[in-house]
Amino acid sequence: MTTATVLLALVVVVALAFDFTNGFHDTGNAMATSIATGALQPKVAVTLAAVLNLVGAFLSVEVALTVTNAVINIQNSKGAPNPELVADGGYALLLIILAGLVGGIVWNVLTWLLGLPSSSSHALFGGLIGSAIAALGMSGVKWTGDGSKLDGVLGKVVLPAVASPVIAGLVAALGTWFIFRVIAGVAERFTDQGFRWGQIGSASLVSLAHGTNDAQKTMGVITLALIAAGQWTDTTSVPLWVKVSCAFAIALGTYVGGWRVIRTLGKGLVEISPPQGMAAESASAAVILTSSHLGFALSTTHVATGSILGSGVGKPGAHVRWHIAGRMVTAWVITLPAAGLVGAVMWYIGHLLGGLAGPVVVVLILMALSTFMWVRSRRQPINAGNVNDEWQPTVQAAEMERVS
Amino acid sequence: MNNVTLALDGAWKVLVTSLLLGAGLPIIFALGVRARAFAAGGDAEVDGGRPRPVGNVLALVCFVLVLLGIALGITIVVASGFGKAVSLQHVYPTIVSK
Repeated sequence: MTTATVLLALVVVVALAFDFTNGFHDTGNAMATSIATGALQPKVAVTLAAVLNLVGAFLSVEVALTVTNAVINIQNSKGAPNPELVADGGYALLLIILAGLVGGIVWNVLTWLLGLPSSSSHALFGGLIGSAIAALGMSGVKWTGDGSKLDGVLGKVVLPAVASPVIAGLVAALGTWFIFRVIAGVAERFTDQGFRWGQIGSASLVSLAHGTNDAQKTMGVITLALIAAGQWTDTTSVPLWVKVSCAFAIALGTYVGGWRVIRTLGKGLVEISPPQGMAAESASAAVILTSSHLGFALSTTHVATGSILGSGVGKPGAHVRWHIAGRMVTAWVITLPAAGLVGAVMWYIGHLLGGLAGPVVVVLILMALSTFMWVRSRRQPINAGNVNDEWQPTVQAAEMERVS
Repeated sequence: MNNVTLALDGAWKVLVTSLLLGAGLPIIFALGVRARAFAAGGDAEVDGGRPRPVGNVLALVCFVLVLLGIALGITIVVASGFGKAVSLQHVYPTIVSK
């Protein structure tokens, strides 16, 4: 077995691990509101989301092989890797991908530990940007694209991150406001029962959309790695085992459920009632589907957070915890550079050690950091049993400070 | 700056469509819930009117509209996964190649 083959195996495993974190980090985007209002039992909600993510991952046959093209220059527009990076069994390119994935995972796990919903796509892009800068210099990054369409870091990452939560928030706020006008005079018990189904339906749609969008990204990354290593040549399809393993990785992650993130989204921002939950998830589903239909990249997390905030703004008399929202926005802003920094450092470590030792050490560091953060999370575990506990600002804030 | 222009151009399209589907459908759903309470009367309403069965018909219309909207949403997801798009050019949705 050559060094490049081992490296390829590491990339595949780490990519699936990223897919897994992508799943558990984003469970809350679809299900937080249904869990918070009790429309679904927590375990039922994550199971439903997992199944829909699995279905979603298989539904999409479009090849996302060019996923890295949005932000960095390591492959051409057809998806083939740049020739100068694939010498030596693809070592150079594989190391960039490995370091980038590690950056994405570390950031995902850290933000999960802090209970902050941050974008998994931004974490992945950030990690890749960091490792590409380290390996190729500034020219390795596509900052703006060629101007013919929304592209590059600005067009595919920054602008959608600014616009999508605002749009989702507006839609959810208006929806919520009108809904409460319409149902004024109806007994609460009656509306809660009715909106329960609306919530489940709209949340399911968000889960399905998530599966079709996010599992694709990992499939694209793994296939790119296979091509770079000379194990796959077709740039128009994804190997079946890649598809199956990515689908199951994201579904498993979703099922495990990022309870810390679910709690923040469902209980931390606003006290959600069933009508608000339905308004929020419908707004999310509509924005995600419309955007992907029109070919815009966006983060499910940003949309879901914007929607939930909007549903708080739209309900007369509701209390929105803006300081929690502020923390989230801060996390969003630093996601890209933070994951990038980790990606870059990992690339340097891998590159300096070189050979087989480099990538192996990088993976060991990833395992050590993840285990450390997981152990920290056990100090104040959040799970299906306590995810809906009353949000106590002081205790929660103190805990967040202590963990961070 | 082209990216910004393109983003603004895309953003308002997303906003308008999302308002129609993402806020419009839940409002119709809410009307359905309202109509059901209207039909049930009694303790379904705050001031407890008598049952008015016509509300059930209105509710049915609302819920069917919402279901059609959801079906459209799922079709869009599935179709785009298979390289197709749902066109609304003829008012009613048709599946076309992307």
